[in-house]
Amino acid sequence: MISRIGYLLRETGASLQRNITLTVAAIITAAVSLLIFGLTLVIQHGFDNLLAQWEGGVEMIVYVNAGVDDAQRGVIETALTQQEGITIDSWRYCDVTCSLGDADRLFAGDPQTRALLDATNIPTQFKVVPLDATEVDILSGLRDRYLELPNVNSVQLAEEQLDLISRLQGFVSTYTTGLWVALMAAASLLIWNTIRTAMFARRREIEVMKLVGATDWFIRLPFMLEGLIHGVAGGAIASGAMWFINDRWTAGVAEFPVNSGMTALVVVDGYEWRVAAILVAFGALVGTVGSGTAASRFLDV
Amino acid sequence: MIRLVNVTKSYSNEVVALRDASFEVAKGEFVFLVGPSGSGKSTLLRLINRQERPELGEVWVAGRNIVDMPSNRVPMLRRNIGNVFQDYKLLTNKTVFENVAFALEVIGRPRHVIDTQVPTVLELVGLAGKEDRFPHQLSGGEQQRVSIARAFVNRPQILVADEPTGNLDPVTGEGIMRLLDRINTTGTTVVMATHDQRIVDSMRRRVIQLDRGVLVRDQSRGVYS
Repeated sequence: MISRIGYLLRETGASLQRNITLTVAAIITAAVSLLIFGLTLVIQHGFDNLLAQWEGGVEMIVYVNAGVDDAQRGVIETALTQQEGITIDSWRYCDVTCSLGDADRLFAGDPQTRALLDATNIPTQFKVVPLDATEVDILSGLRDRYLELPNVNSVQLAEEQLDLISRLQGFVSTYTTGLWVALMAAASLLIWNTIRTAMFARRREIEVMKLVGATDWFIRLPFMLEGLIHGVAGGAIASGAMWFINDRWTAGVAEFPVNSGMTALVVVDGYEWRVAAILVAFGALVGTVGSGTAASRFLDV
Repeated sequence: MIRLVNVTKSYSNEVVALRDASFEVAKGEFVFLVGPSGSGKSTLLRLINRQERPELGEVWVAGRNIVDMPSNRVPMLRRNIGNVFQDYKLLTNKTVFENVAFALEVIGRPRHVIDTQVPTVLELVGLAGKEDRFPHQLSGGEQQRVSIARAFVNRPQILVADEPTGNLDPVTGEGIMRLLDRINTTGTTVVMATHDQRIVDSMRRRVIQLDRGVLVRDQSRGVYS
């Protein structure tokens, strides 16, 4: 067993060195495509942060002044309850803890602003789900009515914020996904071609191996390991580049104005490490599939 | 050891390489396959080690019909068949020792077995002291000896040789034949395709003659023609 493992590692190392140009090309292509895949995931997560407060079909948020008591809040609750089944499907109250949680995500890229908010000054929220989100006039009417209620700080409609973000998210999602799928296919084909070239370069060796009774798996494994290394190396490089870009973006977002609406478009909750693991695993998968297919297809060199 | 029963093999371009061939080779026999180029000698050797499969007939090797043998069992079959070629098929980037060791390494033999068996077989073929040389540093005869060492290092039951003296001068060829004869005396069955009339006539072993895919002569202690 030890001699087989030694043989496997030795042959893989020799093949990587022999095909150094193609090896580097395959790793770079895999790294670029995996980087775009990783950035797509990270950007999507950033948009999710940006839209966190609107999750669950919420189309209107009524912000309540900090420090109101239960009776004062009850006035607003009554007004909302009166509309249930007429224009409002449901509503829920987001208390201080919940509102601070939203602030954590919304100001993830702006810790200085976040630091200004605490339990004593943060406005709490009523999150409202309308019966029909497309009835813009009805929602506008409700907003005007609730703005007149005592202790209502402000009322925000999703439409105002969501439209631009949704369009941006759709654009990013469509084009980056298309791009990384195309590049991933290119990386896989390049790995496939690298392995084919490696097998052709060693065709005499393979012929001898088959004639002396080596099994097909024994012959295939060094090539598959070579492809696996291409994919894993590509994934590792992509992870490093993604971490760097995310770090620079997060530092840049802190400089944006508070009202820019971009302060939540960052990933600082450790999600980037999960994406890094996904990139390495995905690289390994693509490398193994590409090389395994080539090693099976071109075994009869 | 080897038995062919009504074997017919043709290639896609309608060329019939072997037609209804039947014969049997006993364990420990030495058999020459003779005939002009294209008569089917190489095809016959390729059928024995399952590089080819016939359209019709049966090919029995070591008691098993290998025609329908599952492909995952073919490597085990080939571990019992040594192969020697006219062009040696040595790996130019490996030394003599590594070329021979390669045959054991790729079938998973442990290092201590390799370190014991390779020097022994190199001694047998007369290449002791040349373990560290590369193929380009050897003569044609020496390269063929490496090829024979590689074929024999796993102590196969059968050794098939396709024109092993074809690239060698008569004197060197005689040396190779003495080596194959010596291997045969250890009990290994040897089947050798050749054009070399002098060698066949001098050794007087069984001769199977092919002509355009048809077995036309099977003679014990025969001569070339």
